Amino acid sequence: MQYMALIYANETEWSDLSSAERESMYDRYRSLAREAEETGVMAGGNELGPTRDATTVRVRGDETLVTDGPYAEVKEALGGFFLFECETMEEALDWAARIPAVEHGAVEVRPVYVDPEEAQL
Amino acid sequence: MKYAMLIYDDDSAWVDLPDDEKAAFRAEEMPKWVALFEELGKADPNVSGKELDGRGTAKVVRVRDGERIVTDGPFAETKEILGGVFLTELPDLDEAIRLAALIPAAQGGGSIEIRPVVQ
Repeated sequence: MQYMALIYANETEWSDLSSAERESMYDRYRSLAREAEETGVMAGGNELGPTRDATTVRVRGDETLVTDGPYAEVKEALGGFFLFECETMEEALDWAARIPAVEHGAVEVRPVYVDPEEAQL
Repeated sequence: MKYAMLIYDDDSAWVDLPDDEKAAFRAEEMPKWVALFEELGKADPNVSGKELDGRGTAKVVRVRDGERIVTDGPFAETKEILGGVFLTELPDLDEAIRLAALIPAAQGGGSIEIRPVVQ
């Protein structure tokens, strides 16, 4: 079963870090990813660019509406995710609780949807 | 350039339906998604995507002063919720916008947020 751990954190705090601080944060992320890989839990993950680089697309009627910026202006934005292969939500939460952002932001864990019909195949 | 397409949509129309009704609802929507997968596959043969389970399955974890706090429900209490993600390698933002507009959720009242992926 795959679980997506969605990382929500304050972007300004991140961009205000010195390059040494940021590098040390990246080290923590890399070491978590490495351990998840060695344990066979790592199924993917990506860091997203900042919301100021976001573009939002909606189609209403025949018209495609394109706006600069994120879908919603929020204090804590989605900044990236891990994809964990785990047996249970509890196990996924154990991994999620080790993502550095949990200490100042929040991590939302959601199971990846499995179609009941596909699951029976 | 690598892009993430974040699909925000109101899932209340179907997420709480019983399994058989949910399956019927999804079957009705499926042709539009199949058409999208075809277009996405043409643009990027290595496109990947994940659909997330409904908001009732979400948990949020925080650690404050060394203590783990787990709460039920999604992080953002909004009507529209992140329902899935596509990851694509595309030539430019215009192509990402063209494909995002083909995502059925963009047409049904939802929004697609395109974000560059940090390489």
